[in-house]
Amino acid sequence: MMGSLDALSARQIATGVTRGDFSATEVAQASLDAIASRDGKTQAFLQVSEELALAAAARTDAARAAGERLGPLAGVPVAFKDNMNLVGTRTTCASRMLEPYESAYTATCVQRMLDAGATPLGKLNMDEFAFGSTTDSSAFHPTNNPWDLTRVPGGSSGGSAAAVTAGEVTLALGSDTGGSIRQPASLCGVVGMKPSYGVVSRYGVVAFGSSLDQVGPIGRRVEDVALAMNALTAGGRDRLDATSRDCTQDYLAHLEDPIEGRAVGVIPALLEAEGLAPEVRSAIERAAHKLADAGARIMEVDLPNMASSIAAYYVLASCEAFSNLARFDGVRYGYQEPGCATLAEQSSLSRAHGFGPEAKRRQMLGAYLLSSGVYERYYLAAQKVRTLITADYQRAFAQVDAILMPASPTVAWEHGAISDPAALYLADVYTISNNIAGNCGISVPVGLGTDSGMPIGAQLQGPTFADASLLTFARALERACDMEGVVAPAFVGKGGEL
Amino acid sequence: MPLTREDVAGIAAYARIALTDVELDEMTAYMNDAIALLDPIIDYDLDGVEPTFHPTGDLANVVREDTVVAGLSLEEALANAASIRGRSFRVPAILAVGGSA
Amino acid sequence: MRRLADVLEDWEAVIGLEVHTALTTLETKMLCGCRLSHDDEPNANVCPICLGMPGALPVPNEKAIESIVMAGLATNCEVMRRSMFYRKHYFYPDMAKNFQTTQGPVAFVMHGHLDLEVSGEGACERLGATVDKRPDGSYVAPIRILRIHMEEDAAKMNHLGGAEGRIGGASESLIDYNRCGTPLIELVTEPDLRTPEEARLFMEKLRQTFLALGISDCSMEKGSMRCDGNVSLRRRGDTHFGTKTELKNLNSFKSLHDALAYEICRQAEVLEEGGAVRQETRHWEPSRRRTVVMRVKETADDYRFFPDPDLAPFDLSDEFVERCRARMPELPDARRDRYMTTWGLRRLDAEKLVADPATASFFEAVAAQVEPSVMPTLVNVMVNLVPAFAALDEAQVASVSGLLAEDALTFAQAREVFELVDGTDADPVRVVDERGMRQSTDADALGAIVDEVLERCESQVQQYHDGNEKVVGFLVGQCMRASKGSGNPKMFNQLLVRRLEA
Repeated sequence: MMGSLDALSARQIATGVTRGDFSATEVAQASLDAIASRDGKTQAFLQVSEELALAAAARTDAARAAGERLGPLAGVPVAFKDNMNLVGTRTTCASRMLEPYESAYTATCVQRMLDAGATPLGKLNMDEFAFGSTTDSSAFHPTNNPWDLTRVPGGSSGGSAAAVTAGEVTLALGSDTGGSIRQPASLCGVVGMKPSYGVVSRYGVVAFGSSLDQVGPIGRRVEDVALAMNALTAGGRDRLDATSRDCTQDYLAHLEDPIEGRAVGVIPALLEAEGLAPEVRSAIERAAHKLADAGARIMEVDLPNMASSIAAYYVLASCEAFSNLARFDGVRYGYQEPGCATLAEQSSLSRAHGFGPEAKRRQMLGAYLLSSGVYERYYLAAQKVRTLITADYQRAFAQVDAILMPASPTVAWEHGAISDPAALYLADVYTISNNIAGNCGISVPVGLGTDSGMPIGAQLQGPTFADASLLTFARALERACDMEGVVAPAFVGKGGEL
Repeated sequence: MPLTREDVAGIAAYARIALTDVELDEMTAYMNDAIALLDPIIDYDLDGVEPTFHPTGDLANVVREDTVVAGLSLEEALANAASIRGRSFRVPAILAVGGSA
Repeated sequence: MRRLADVLEDWEAVIGLEVHTALTTLETKMLCGCRLSHDDEPNANVCPICLGMPGALPVPNEKAIESIVMAGLATNCEVMRRSMFYRKHYFYPDMAKNFQTTQGPVAFVMHGHLDLEVSGEGACERLGATVDKRPDGSYVAPIRILRIHMEEDAAKMNHLGGAEGRIGGASESLIDYNRCGTPLIELVTEPDLRTPEEARLFMEKLRQTFLALGISDCSMEKGSMRCDGNVSLRRRGDTHFGTKTELKNLNSFKSLHDALAYEICRQAEVLEEGGAVRQETRHWEPSRRRTVVMRVKETADDYRFFPDPDLAPFDLSDEFVERCRARMPELPDARRDRYMTTWGLRRLDAEKLVADPATASFFEAVAAQVEPSVMPTLVNVMVNLVPAFAALDEAQVASVSGLLAEDALTFAQAREVFELVDGTDADPVRVVDERGMRQSTDADALGAIVDEVLERCESQVQQYHDGNEKVVGFLVGQCMRASKGSGNPKMFNQLLVRRLEA
C-alpha cells in the first residue's frame, strides 16, 4: 500500500509502473475506485471505460513483463472530454444528438496519450458541444465543483477540470475555443493549458470553432501538464490536420529555469474592468508580486483591441459552429426523429430535438451572420479584428515574455446563478483574445478567494509557439503559490488507495 | 433594424431547426440581444485592415500524397446510422407527395 | 417552333457553359485517402472524412492541385498564386457535411481562353460581324474562360418507389457515399458562345485537352464529365443580355447541342409571342427532345460561403507551377499542327487523329514503322478502318497499310484482314498469303484474263464503243470473277481501257 493515488504526480505514477513499484493494473483499479467513490458527487464522468482501462493497463504490464520500454505516461490514469473520439466509447458531446454515437475512429490527441502509455478511464462531461462556461448545458447532468458541490466547475471542459480536481484521474484532456480549458481550471484550482493553435492536432475532436479550437491538458501540477504536452506533440505534425505543426520538443526541459530578469506584462485596464471580483483582482495582484519576488520584471503592456474581442469572438465562433454542426442531420449518425414522411421534416425535427437550446441558438446566430449581405458587416469585420488583435499581441510580446491576467472575472458561481446567455458571453473577456490570435495560455491556481474560499487561477499568456517558455512561467508561479498537487479538500484520499 | 419573427423563422427553415411558436419568440429575442452585443463591430474603424481567416501565420500549401489509406468497413460506416437499407444509408421521401420539400 | 437557322437570323443566342470534370485518374479522393470509386459496391470506399463523421478533418490531395494547375495552363489561364478553399452550405444528404468544400472568389486558375475552329455547316449559324470569317465561311471563335475551381463531388442518391428513379414520387432514397469527395474541377466560360455548334465544339475541345493531360477519363456517359448550359437571346444588334435559363442533363455532345438548339427556338417563340423568358432551371429530356422546368429561381440561393478554417490557404510557388508545366504533354492543337507540317496531313485528318491521345500515340508508333510513301495510306487506314477494331497492334496496321499502298489488297480486303487478325498476334502478310488474298499485279497474267473477258462480252464492248464508258465497271467485275478475286481491280481497269481504246 503506497497511499492514495491522488497524491501522486503523473511522473511518479509512470516511474512507479516502470520500476515495478506497482502495476498499471493496480493504478487503473485505484483510479476506478476513486471514480466509484467520488464521481457520485462531482458527476464529472459521462462514461467510465472500465474495460478499456483494464485492457490498456494489462497491455502496459505485459509490455513491462516482456522487457519493453514503457512510455512516459505508463499507467497514468487519463480521461477525455466527451468531444474526443475514442474507439470503444461513445462520443456524445453531452448532447442528445450524439447520445447513441459510437466513435468510429480515435482522435489523434487521444491516440498520442495512449501511445505514451496512459490508461483511458473514460469520457468527461462538458457543456453541450462545448457551448458554455458552466457545464450545466450538458444534456445528461450537470457537473459539480469539487470545492463546493453547489457551484459550477466552469466550462465547457468542466468535467475534465472536476475529475482532476477531485483526484479521480491524474490528467484529463479538454478543448478550449474561448477559454474552455483555462476557465474551468481556474474555477476548480487546477492547471489547464491551451497550447498555441496548431500545436495539438484537432483530428477527431468534434469541431466547434475550427479556427479557435485547441486541445490541451488539465492536471494538478504544471509538470503533469508538461508531460502531457510531450505526449500530445510526440511524432510531429499530424498529417490528418492541415492546420497542425511540428511542435515536438521536451516541454519538461525548461520547467525549472529561473525567470530572473525576464519580463511579465500586466494590463492595468483589465484589472480595473467592471465585473472583476475584488478577490480575483487581489489574487492576480499577489501573483504579480510573487513573480516579481522570483526575479521577473513586471511591466505594463496594452492590448488596445481587446475590447472588440467579445464581438469578434462571438461572430467567428457562431459562424464556424453553424457550419460545423450542419452535418448533424440524423442521416449517417446521431439522433434521428422517427416516423417522418419527408427528408426536410426528418432533418428539422432531428435537429430540433437532438440539440439543446444553446446549440440551436449558436447555429441560428451563425446562419444569420453568414447570410448574404450580412457576412461583410460581421464575419469579415471580425476577421479584420483578428488581424488587429494578433498585431496587438505581437507588439506586447516584443516587450514581455508572458502576460499575466485573470482567467475568469469571478470564482465559481452557484448552479443557475447566471441564466442570461448573453451575460455569460461577457465573462469570457479574459480568455477569448488568445483564441482569436492563436497564441498560448495557461491557468495556474494561485490561491483561494479571500471572500469565497474558492480557488482562483491566474492566467499566463505567451507568444505563439512559445508554449515551452510559457510553462517555465507557469511553473515559477506554481512554486511561489503553494497550490501544487492540491486535490479538493472534501475528496483527498477518499477511495483510490494504491 | 431588429430581426422579425418571420426573419428568424426563415433562418430556422434554412438551418433545418424546427421551432415551436414559443421557441420562435424566445429565439427572436435571443437573436436580437446577441446581435446588439455584436453590433459594435460594425462601427470599428477597419479601413485598410486585411482579414486573417486562418490563425496559422505563414502556413500554406498543406497537402497529402495521392496514396490510398484504408477507410471504414461497411459495417463500421453504417454502424451509427438509424436507417439503412442494404449497403446504403436511407432517407425518407425528398419531395412530399404533391409538393416540394 | 421555327427552325434554328431561321431563329438565329433574328436573334443572337448568348451561351455560357459550366463544365464539371471528375479527376478520375487520381488514386484517392480530394480531401481523404479513400480510393476513387469506379464501379464499386455502395459505400465500399468511405472513411470518417468523406462521411463527415464528427471530428474528422480534410487534407487536400496534392495531385489534384497539380491536375487543376495543368488544366489551367492548357486553357491559357493565369495561375492564381494565393487562393483558399471555401465552404458552401446547403442541407442535402448527398453532401456528408451539409457543406461542399469548394473555392471562393479566387479559384486556382482564372482568366483563360480556348480558340475554336468552326467550319462546315455549323459555321453558317454564327452571323454578323462578331468574328472574321474566311472565304469558305469557317472562322476562329475565341472563347474566354472565367475560372476553373476545385470542389468535391456529391454522393449518389438512388430514389426508390417513384418512376424511373426520379425524385418526384419516390418514397425513399438510398445514399451511396463512394462518389462523395471525388475531386471535381469546374470550368466556367464567359458567355462567348453563340451557337449550339460552338458549344459542342468547345466541349469536344475541352474533352480532348483534358484527355491529353490525363487528368480524367472524361466520360460523359459515366458522368465524369458533365455540362450545364446557360442560354439567353437578344435581338441582333442589341448589347444588353436577355434573361437566361439554365439547362441540365446535357450528358452527351448531342444532348448539349440539341438542348441548346431547342431552348433557343423555345425562347424565341416565347419572346416573339410577346412573353418573357423566366429565369429557371430546365431539364433536357432526350427521348422527347425538349426541355422542361425543374425549378424556378425566385431568389438567389444563399450558400453562406466562408473560407474553410480547416484548410490552410494556398500560396503556390513558381517552382510548383513550373513543375506542373514540365509534366504537361503535347496538347491536341500542337500535335495537329505537327502532323500537318511533319507528314503533310490534311487538317481534318490530323484533328481526328489527335482527338484521342491513345489514338494519336498509336498512329505515331505506326508512322515510325512505315516508309514515307505509305503515309497517305496509313492516314486513310487510321481514320477510316482502325476505329472499328478493338485490339490491332502497331505492326499489323503498318503491314496492312503497306499492302494497301502497293495495291496488293483492296480496301475491302484490308477490312477483312483486320477482322481476321484483330486481337491476335497474327502477321497480316502471312494471313493474306495463306488465304491467297494477295492481288496479282502481274500484267501478263491479268492481260490474259482481260483478253478472255473481252472475247466473251462482245455486246458490252459494243456498248463501250457506242459511248457508254460505265460498262467498264461491269467488265472489271467479270475480270475479278474470272481471277477469283486475286487480280487487282485497278490494274484490270487500266488494261481494259487500254485494249478498248486500242
